[in-house]
Amino acid sequence: MSLVKSLESYVAKNNLSPEKKKLFASFINQGFPTIKDEEWKYTPLKKIISLDYNINNQTDQTLDATFIKNNSLGLKHKIVFCNGNLLEAPNISGLTVSDFSDFECRINDTNTLLNEALAKNGYTISVESNVTIEEPVEILFFNTLENSFSQYRSIISVMKNSSIKFVEKIYDLSNSNSLVNNFTKILCEENSNIEFNKIQNNTPNSKLIDCMNIFQERNSTALVNTFIFGGDFVRNNLNFEQNGKNCESNMNGISLIDRDQLADNHTFVDHKNAHCRSNEMYKGIYLDKSKGVFNGKIMVRKDAQKIDAFQSNNNLLLSDLSSIDSKPQLEIYADDVKCSHGCTIGQLDQEALFYMRSRGIGVEEAKAVLTYAFTSEVIDKVSISELQKLIRDVLAKKLNVDLDFSLV
Amino acid sequence: MLKIENLKAEIDGIEILKGINLTVNAGEIHAIMGPNGSGKSTLSSVIAGKEEYEVTDGSITFNNEDLLDLAPEERAHEGIFLSFQYPIEIPGISVSNFIKTSLNEQRKFKNLDPIATSELLRLMREKMKLLNIKQGYLSRNMNEGFSGGEKKRNEIFQMAMLNPKLSILDETDSGLDIDALKIVANGVNTLKNNENATIVITHYQRLLDYIVPDYVHILHDGKIVKSGDKNLALEMEEKGYEWITKEKSL
Repeated sequence: MSLVKSLESYVAKNNLSPEKKKLFASFINQGFPTIKDEEWKYTPLKKIISLDYNINNQTDQTLDATFIKNNSLGLKHKIVFCNGNLLEAPNISGLTVSDFSDFECRINDTNTLLNEALAKNGYTISVESNVTIEEPVEILFFNTLENSFSQYRSIISVMKNSSIKFVEKIYDLSNSNSLVNNFTKILCEENSNIEFNKIQNNTPNSKLIDCMNIFQERNSTALVNTFIFGGDFVRNNLNFEQNGKNCESNMNGISLIDRDQLADNHTFVDHKNAHCRSNEMYKGIYLDKSKGVFNGKIMVRKDAQKIDAFQSNNNLLLSDLSSIDSKPQLEIYADDVKCSHGCTIGQLDQEALFYMRSRGIGVEEAKAVLTYAFTSEVIDKVSISELQKLIRDVLAKKLNVDLDFSLV
Repeated sequence: MLKIENLKAEIDGIEILKGINLTVNAGEIHAIMGPNGSGKSTLSSVIAGKEEYEVTDGSITFNNEDLLDLAPEERAHEGIFLSFQYPIEIPGISVSNFIKTSLNEQRKFKNLDPIATSELLRLMREKMKLLNIKQGYLSRNMNEGFSGGEKKRNEIFQMAMLNPKLSILDETDSGLDIDALKIVANGVNTLKNNENATIVITHYQRLLDYIVPDYVHILHDGKIVKSGDKNLALEMEEKGYEWITKEKSL
């Protein structure tokens, strides 16, 4: 049964509120996007939504602490979900966590609509005003149910003058055709600071659609780093809306995928106010028959003067059959702004490879070191050393070399 | 140590080396001089194993082993080091990380464990002192934004760290001012012993005032046309390369 049919049958059997029914009806009316939709031109969903998924995925499965530790970065503070149930929440002064996830959000695409209509699982995090939480919080979503369709829906509020860091991982333990539709809304109040890191290194058949909407008030800084290292299909929509002066929106990413995986990063920065900045750096490395998509949209509205917006997307195609579709999209309606974008697609530098080999570095190792060097600018954007180490280790593993990329 | 016999090599179907014969023994310094386009850099690239060049005839043996069968990294493991005329910039990897990686890859080949960090740092400090390299340099990206002189010094620094049996210095003097030249030459001379050998490839005689060769060879049109001792270099300098070309055409 296709996903739409499964969802309809689920809705027929469950008693939804009139609002949810209405939302679901609009979802059905719109349908999943197809490649005729400009935003989904290079990212076909057809195959994914034709698969048979289990929709009703409530269980009371638990996971033991050692298992969780082995499947995480091992940070002190953790929020752990298994099949949507909250298993663990940290006890940090100034931070409240609950599994309440029923909130409204601006609807901007079909997947968000579906999420709003039917999502049951997620968290609400609230960071009180004037609180700086130094130690990062790990957010783990585990799924153990085979061939499941899960929707997570979360909201984070970072109140005035506060700062916090997260590392999020969505991971399928069933090792099956699972699909997750994840939605996160982040509210950044005045003078707040958030760093949000995503590790998307899932099992070979898992699929992820991830949408994050960030709303920033004045003097706030938001940083989102996205690391895609695996999974059959990943689509990220990352949207920033600057609603006050002197906001900074930063986003970076590394995609390193192989086989016939697809990784799509769609970003959108809406510069609605003056004196704001955005910085964007995405690096992609594509092996085998893998496929990358990058779409970076920057909107500078009429009154948003003195904007600095930088975007770069650099790609390495390490096989003849890999591909990347990269599209910068700048819409500028103000006249006193600095916007730049750059996109490169290439292979490893043969001269550099020979240089390294002449120093005794084997050809696979030399390729790996050059690839690592290509990504290191992005790794430097992460402020959590445990995460930097994880990224280096995953890179070495994915590139099949026994090298420690960490500095002397 | 190194024995080159009747070596012929071409790139894109154009023959550059047209029958080179050269023997280098341990403890010796050889200088190869010649005008632009005579094949100096091709010779060093072929010895180091650059794959764009096709060897069409002849042989190179290194310590009685056929070098032409080996990949560039295997040649490095055997003890061959090429100081590049134009060292490559590698953004994103620090000098220390680069050197650590090459050193450990060479140690892996010799079945040795990776070098201890403290030992590596000690060794680096010692060699930096020898080459008058300042602190802070190790954390810079490999050759990125380096001046010509810094790049060349970085080559000799790697040579000092890797301790090769045969070093080929390809135009190491180009881009160096006299002070840097003296430092580099002093480094090369200090690293010199009876177990290793050096081939200095240069356009000008100047470097040979500081690195004194046992033998000087003149390369012209892909062949060694004249060999002699250090006085040959002085004669070359005085009479210019035209002297050789004229002599050849007579």
